[in-house]
Amino acid sequence: MKRLLTIAAAVGVAMSVGTTADAADRTVKIAGFGAMSGVVRSFGINTDAVMRAAAKAINDAGGVKLADGSMAPMEVSFDDDRCNAEEGISVVRRIASSDAVVGVGPTCSNVAEPLFGILQAKAGDEGDSGLQFPIFTDTAIKGGLAKISEWAFRNVPNESQMYQTLFEWLASEHPDAKSVYGGVEEDFAHSRFTWYKVMKTRSADAGYEVKGEAKWLLNDTNFTTQVRAMKRAGADVIAISAHPFTTCGVLKEMARQRVEYKVLVGLTSSSSLETLNGCAKQAEGIIIPTSFAPVNPDAVAAADAAAALGGSADLHSAAAWEIMMILKDVIETAGIQATADSVAADRRAIRDGLATLKTTKGLLGEITRTDEGEAVKPYVYVHAADGTWAVLHDPNT
Amino acid sequence: MDFYYGMAQLIGVHTLLGLSAYVVLLTGQVSMAQAGFFAIGAYLGGMLTVLAGLHIVPAMLLAAVASALVATVVGFPALRVKGLMLVVATLAFGEAVRIFWFNFDYQIAKGNIQVGPLGGEGFKQIRYFPENGWSTADVAIFIWAWVIAAMVALWWMDRSRVGSVLRAVGEDELAAQSVGINLTAVKVSAMGIGGFIAGLGGAIYAHYTTHIEHLNFGVVLATFAIAYPILGGLSSVIGVLLAVIFIQGFLVEVLRFMGDWRNLLFGALIVLAMNVRPDGLFDARATRALKRLLGGRDA
Repeated sequence: MKRLLTIAAAVGVAMSVGTTADAADRTVKIAGFGAMSGVVRSFGINTDAVMRAAAKAINDAGGVKLADGSMAPMEVSFDDDRCNAEEGISVVRRIASSDAVVGVGPTCSNVAEPLFGILQAKAGDEGDSGLQFPIFTDTAIKGGLAKISEWAFRNVPNESQMYQTLFEWLASEHPDAKSVYGGVEEDFAHSRFTWYKVMKTRSADAGYEVKGEAKWLLNDTNFTTQVRAMKRAGADVIAISAHPFTTCGVLKEMARQRVEYKVLVGLTSSSSLETLNGCAKQAEGIIIPTSFAPVNPDAVAAADAAAALGGSADLHSAAAWEIMMILKDVIETAGIQATADSVAADRRAIRDGLATLKTTKGLLGEITRTDEGEAVKPYVYVHAADGTWAVLHDPNT
Repeated sequence: MDFYYGMAQLIGVHTLLGLSAYVVLLTGQVSMAQAGFFAIGAYLGGMLTVLAGLHIVPAMLLAAVASALVATVVGFPALRVKGLMLVVATLAFGEAVRIFWFNFDYQIAKGNIQVGPLGGEGFKQIRYFPENGWSTADVAIFIWAWVIAAMVALWWMDRSRVGSVLRAVGEDELAAQSVGINLTAVKVSAMGIGGFIAGLGGAIYAHYTTHIEHLNFGVVLATFAIAYPILGGLSSVIGVLLAVIFIQGFLVEVLRFMGDWRNLLFGALIVLAMNVRPDGLFDARATRALKRLLGGRDA
């Protein structure tokens, strides 16, 4: 009997030590994922740096408050999905099998669509065996994706609204410009969607005559034919719906063929450092609506923190900063426990918390959240001037 | 555990793709069209469950039959070319299929959303598995039932007279023809069987990813399809499985942390593997050893 009591006491002590250690070791694990390799790797690299910078800022301020009132640090990991749907699914399944409470990503819309498809469509629907794991997207921007699943949320700008107001503003600022010619990266889901469903229709709505579009592919390196067609069209406004890599190729070819235009408009994803690194001279004057610019102390601080960790804050990666801050607030409000046993409940609490948000704080101002898990973010128009992005107009003022 | 089931699903789908190329390779034909047959299976399989509301099994079988028919049709003109010319011809066919789906729109209203293929934007909401309450384990078991069925069928075929005929054509067409083997029937049949298996794999793939688009079925996939049997070896279907595990399980998944270096190492490791095991990871010696282990007669 004595021996039994001794063993029981030893087990009790061991368990209490374990419990104490668990409480001290609790961390809130946020799993980032996106393209860290391949053509669009800069997006993932920047998001990774910004997420780590945001976590550092949160942890330096004491961490995240858990349900029992204790504070826990945020821990960020980041996985490479190579902008590939199969790999994105594998990465998220692996993350969902860990004790991460939420995922942040992906970079590419062609990964986001299948990824959201494997999530449970309606939260709590027992007939739907989809993955029950909240995903908060910072970069994949193709319109209307979050409605695929109630576990999917996005903090990406509303391009439809941005380009509608941009073309209306251009019509008033440049009354002599009457026609638009597009250039579209045809095989990239986001670029294609934005030209056909956003830029083309919004410019027509603003009274422009759409003279057509030149098409190329993400991996193209020769744009002679497309730019020749562009030059022949003789439009006043050239609107390029393509990412920095081919945008620069086209701009250089436009310079070589001396294409004349009155206004040059770019894709929101191209308002990044990559464009300036690749073709600052040819991009001079290009106007792009963006949901991030270092125009206030908070935005400057976020950009500096990201730069300190080797990243660049642009409209996509800055969204990851906002996501981390939103998650901190949601976690503290929802009161998660961050224990090995509470992972499923914590994920559900975070999902429910995100779903109830109507507004959140953003780096450029208040962000409105829709019932479909999308964001309506404040934005400005920037233009490339002397090798940097400068704010050209703030439609909110 | 969910992750491992997910990996099992992925490896299963790619094994079917590899097996489709394996059976064609046995006849000495290097086909880069398997990604095209895979795409046909994926789109048709998805359309049959999402638009026509069919159960997954008949949808898969119909998609596979359609892929097999297309493959058979492709098989006839492919008879006229050999070697590199066949590679180029089948690659061109695969690209033609991809471009077809890139331009193919057919959507219907389902509730408040439009579903069906939409050209470059792809085909989303192929959610048969989750909508019908299939767990990740259920899906993995379902996929592996098909994979095992395909492997057993090909294994049996390999040990039968049919397999000998296929290999005879692959080894030496002239010699095979001189003993009365009908080259046209053999090559076209192999292409048709390969198309059927690729169609099955494609139909499962569409339901595994829930969203497909033309870019999923490009040259990279076609290269993977042919790389699996070449890397694994043509001695046995086991080789294809080993190659898929090596590429998808090890090179893609385990080395994920290496970022861009993974792509570099990817090629280097394949070259290394082919130098160390020139007849494939699972060569004739390994096949004989396995047969001895299983108590069967030595080949």
